[in-house]
Amino acid sequence: MSRRQRFATIGFLGGLMGGLLGVGGGLVMVPLQVVWAGMTQKQANATSLVAIIPIAIAALPIYYFHAERPQVDLHMALFLVIGSVVGAYAGARLLKLIPERILKMLVAAMLVLVGIKEVIAP
Amino acid sequence: MSWGDALAIVGGLVAGVISGTMGVGGGVVFVPFMTTGYRFTQTLAQGTSLAAIVPTAVVGGFTHIRQGNVLRDAAIWMGAGGLGGAVVGAVVAVHAPSGILARLFALFLFANAFVLVRSALADRTGKPAAP
Repeated sequence: MSRRQRFATIGFLGGLMGGLLGVGGGLVMVPLQVVWAGMTQKQANATSLVAIIPIAIAALPIYYFHAERPQVDLHMALFLVIGSVVGAYAGARLLKLIPERILKMLVAAMLVLVGIKEVIAP
Repeated sequence: MSWGDALAIVGGLVAGVISGTMGVGGGVVFVPFMTTGYRFTQTLAQGTSLAAIVPTAVVGGFTHIRQGNVLRDAAIWMGAGGLGGAVVGAVVAVHAPSGILARLFALFLFANAFVLVRSALADRTGKPAAP
């Protein structure tokens, strides 16, 4: 498999997950870029973020037009974006001050709890 | 602006801090925030999450391009493949029952929790953070 085919396959898998779950797809693309394409962690993170742009743009009209009713709440999305832009900026500045290991464990525990709730009562 | 809008900003803020500092995507927080906090159906939460991801990824992506961290060829071919995968995934999602989607999403949450725990443990031993 050529290098280009490899990247296209990684992108396809990321897109599949992104479109199916309404996320970016970085969870599969980042590790695949590192182990299968020999990229550094930093390159993989940055490159996957760029590949997420066409993934989200391609999936969006399908959620909007392909369902019985539009499955996109643009009003909600706008306020989420406002918050997340500020949060990403603040997070980057606070990075050195926060106890990263403990926070990661806390967030992981929260995700597991929410996941269990989704399994039992979706 | 209503209380609901203010709460959405707070949810976005949390998602931004987590994705900015821990290397997980915003969708991990966006989707459960809307399904549990606003009683959105899984499909509506996922579609809305994608809409919130577009501007976030554009800003972050172009920042990384300017800093020279992006491999151009890789980004182009991954984006092309991603386009195809995203269409297939989204078509399946809008026709799938919300309950099944929510359970698939739960698997995604467990996978993210695993990545976070692994990277937290890697920090302790001084090894580089896991992907």
